[in-house]
Amino acid sequence: MNYKNINKVALVAILLIAFGLPLVIRSATYLHILVLLFFYAYLTTSWNLVGGFAGVLPLGHAAFVGIGAYTSTILFLQYGISPWIGMLVGGVLATIAGILIGLPTFKMRGAYFALATIAFAEGFRVIVENIDYIGPFKINGPRGLQIPPLDIGLANFMFASKEPYYYIILIMLVAVVVLTYVISRSKLGYYLNAGGEEPEAAMALGVNVARAKLIAMAMSSFLTAMAGTFYAQFTLYIHPKSIISLDLSFEIAFIALIGGRGSIAGPILGALLLRPVGDFSRIYFGDTLPGMHLIIFGLVLILVMHYQPRGLQEPLTRLYNNLIRRITHNTTGR
Amino acid sequence: MQILRRIVVPALAISLIAGSYATGHAENVKIGNIIPLSGPSATLGQQGKAAREMAVEEINAAGGIKSLGGAKFELVFADSESKPEKGVAEAERLINTEKVNVLTGCWNSAVTYPTTAVAERYGIPFVVPVSVSDKITDQGFKTVFRIAAKDSWWTRDQFAFLKDMEKEFGTKVERLAFVYENGDWGKGFAGQWKKLAEAGGYKVVLDEPYPSTATDLSPVVQKIRRAKPDVLLLVSNAADAILLTNTLADYKVKLKAIIASGGGHADPSFLKTTGKNAQYLFDIVEWETDVNKPGAKEANDKYKAKYGQNLTGEAVDAYVAMYVLKDALERAASLDPEKIREALAATNLSSGPGMIVGYDSVKFDKTGQNENASLVMVQVNDTGKGLERITIWPKSARRAGYTPVFPMPNK
Amino acid sequence: MYYIIEDTINGILMGSIYGLTAMGLTIIFGVLKVVNFAHGSMLMVGMYLAYWAVTLSGMHPYLAIVLVAPAMFLFGYTLQNFVIKPIFIAEKNVREPLTVIIVTTGIWYILDNLTLLIFGPQYRSLADNPLNGQMLEIGEMFISVPKLYGCITAVITALGVYWFFQKTDMGRAIRATSMDREAASLMGINQYKIYNVAFGIGAATAGIAAVTLVPFYNVFPTVGVLFDIKGFIIVVLGGLGSIGGALAGGIIIGIIESVGPQFMTATWTEAIVYGLFLVVLFVKPSGLFGQKHDW
Repeated sequence: MNYKNINKVALVAILLIAFGLPLVIRSATYLHILVLLFFYAYLTTSWNLVGGFAGVLPLGHAAFVGIGAYTSTILFLQYGISPWIGMLVGGVLATIAGILIGLPTFKMRGAYFALATIAFAEGFRVIVENIDYIGPFKINGPRGLQIPPLDIGLANFMFASKEPYYYIILIMLVAVVVLTYVISRSKLGYYLNAGGEEPEAAMALGVNVARAKLIAMAMSSFLTAMAGTFYAQFTLYIHPKSIISLDLSFEIAFIALIGGRGSIAGPILGALLLRPVGDFSRIYFGDTLPGMHLIIFGLVLILVMHYQPRGLQEPLTRLYNNLIRRITHNTTGR
Repeated sequence: MQILRRIVVPALAISLIAGSYATGHAENVKIGNIIPLSGPSATLGQQGKAAREMAVEEINAAGGIKSLGGAKFELVFADSESKPEKGVAEAERLINTEKVNVLTGCWNSAVTYPTTAVAERYGIPFVVPVSVSDKITDQGFKTVFRIAAKDSWWTRDQFAFLKDMEKEFGTKVERLAFVYENGDWGKGFAGQWKKLAEAGGYKVVLDEPYPSTATDLSPVVQKIRRAKPDVLLLVSNAADAILLTNTLADYKVKLKAIIASGGGHADPSFLKTTGKNAQYLFDIVEWETDVNKPGAKEANDKYKAKYGQNLTGEAVDAYVAMYVLKDALERAASLDPEKIREALAATNLSSGPGMIVGYDSVKFDKTGQNENASLVMVQVNDTGKGLERITIWPKSARRAGYTPVFPMPNK
Repeated sequence: MYYIIEDTINGILMGSIYGLTAMGLTIIFGVLKVVNFAHGSMLMVGMYLAYWAVTLSGMHPYLAIVLVAPAMFLFGYTLQNFVIKPIFIAEKNVREPLTVIIVTTGIWYILDNLTLLIFGPQYRSLADNPLNGQMLEIGEMFISVPKLYGCITAVITALGVYWFFQKTDMGRAIRATSMDREAASLMGINQYKIYNVAFGIGAATAGIAAVTLVPFYNVFPTVGVLFDIKGFIIVVLGGLGSIGGALAGGIIIGIIESVGPQFMTATWTEAIVYGLFLVVLFVKPSGLFGQKHDW
């Protein structure tokens, strides 16, 4: 068996495990935690198109989650339009917003870009919190929107059990990872990488960095908004303080940086570490030591950055490659 | 990876052990409580936790649930951080993994909506001590029971109180100002106030939401001062209630009365941080320490000795919720969720330990709302023992020998 | 017109205090080129220090500066030296290491929640301090005395920091490092020590800001968060790295927050602030007083 084949086997095995997990894990608690884990891995992978490959740090992606969630929910509640369609409409709206944000901000660097995206997301939240109606659309201001769990079924994107949600978000995650893989091997990926590391040099070589970044932003915001719809259907309640929150925007960036930004496995590894740390520490300390779970979360952030400033992806890849080398070595030696 | 091993693995191990333990001792009644123990509403969540613990200690010490062979109450707390998605995840966990028999919570209406929906789906009874939004019991859920009054009652009583005061003291009130936190709670109240003001023939001179994260409220206070209202109605969380009260005093805003809506104005830190500035304030609450009810004083003394604060209306709702559950379980004589739900629906708890509320009995209507829940108006004043909260309304509940101060004298 | 003057004065006073709360952010960015997300938490730590210093000793709240500013300097210096410096060393070749943002956010979570664990969620205030509720009354006009003190302190602090950067050897070394790290270290300046000092100064200004807030504001574990986002906006408005800019940015925000509500509900002024912030970013990305080379 050579290196490539082993990679394929490993990939198939991971996919089999992921798809088979609900057969083993019957508890809705753990499925719920896993659904959110995949949800964050999906969000971070979408974020990675801009934050990872284009070399900037967007800290306002919650705005796109909000656009997606609100669009599909309003269309469903007021016009009975299936959230599946609303998901695409939200994606289109978010794309427009993404381009509008990207056009002026991509000229900025580092901290300025990060802070500008924070301002966009916060400004958007404030506006949502201040508006009850936009024309005929009921936004409901700070009170948020609730989806009554009446018409359960695939057409309405509503299910009584966790498994359908699990498979939907898993398929979305696989799709977005494949997309990222394709992009990273394409011309666009090359442009993005070049523009992220050495914008001046890339521009001198005739690469239209700004355009590449805008395309990445458009895709990223579209995909992020789709997750917004998923979130709305999963929790059946959206409200500006939680869905357009800085906490959400920050957590996406944390997962990316902890996992290893700009890599395909990074967002998944980051989510695999940070989500369980957050969930289980809250469960075990939330009762006796309020706030302890956030202290632990903060400590994990600091420690990982201290020992692996490029994220977990690098050492884990090394570990994996060593392992494979040993296996292939053994087999050829025999 | 070290971190993974150190945190996740023991966590999983503990959960497995805890899970098997729970199934091994099924006779205990497990009560899951989702409340904000950290984050911006932590002070309220921690009061709710203390009150529940005190009630459960008493119930267990008195022999637990007799019809279940002396089964004890076992409290499981989960931190919502005031975030709906955390509340939902915790509801799933408490129901599926902790196998709780009943849920309670969540204080923040925004967390209560989606968590009650989870409980409804599993058929697990959900007792809401406080979360005042009307919507909570208007969703048609069968498993939701609320102890506190709903916001349309709070606002109705605020206006009834105002009318009574006008009559009692012969002072005419014409101009009202509404100032409230821009959230589910504030918006809900303001919507009701608008209707009531119209029906009552008042003129609304200011209708002002403000962000509860505001760092300076003097612009809002200036607006109040310039609008020259007779009476100011407020809905505030703790930080902003303190800031507003102090700033109103700083700017010497002349008002006939300030009527607050509990929450931040009833927070135990409120009087400590505002002092004299809070004098003559009216605040509507579910319960006050001077309520004329057997056991109330003892309960408050005990609570104060234990936690260093007076019981608040919100804490009492949580305290009573435990006794309501005890009563229902006693009658249900079963841990079957449907049996517990039926027993809760048939609740008519009027006496016994724990019934320290001002009204006669806890009884739920068809929607699960406690139909007897009533409110009292208190005034902050100093009768020689330092500033305290004194019940003044309804008149039948007024503290003996106290005459309310209305309109507010100019300081 | 008369109302607008009164509101503008309040806006300037409160705004200069905002500027003071954000000053450390801009100093730290100017030198380290990173946004310190823990700045609000450092302000919170300063407020607890000031609160306890005044409560336990009964001194005048402003006297607490003598204690809080040096204590916060040490706190910032140590924090940078032990927690943040290793990241800089690991990421030597990166001009604006984003990993530091994550680390400062970790510090933010730890500080806020450690405070919650130790002191509980209660709100505290110095109800009996001599400045509490003091108002200057000029005709019908009200001016808050503690805010006036705060404004004066902000201006003095800004001048002091400016003087320090211009006239002292350490200040010059800090400026040299902020302009060109490599050149400075070639000249024998230990850049990591400079970072420690700059972080310490940033923390000390947060401590001074805390002292100006405590006489009229509440102290609680998450108080820093309220000033955090505001601080980011202020420093970008004024130009990241510019001390005068922080003050100016703060005053602009203060005036919008104070005058705006006379024309709309208070909740909308937040949106105006974000809108203005974005407009300035697009028109002049380096901020009102920022240097061009920094964006």
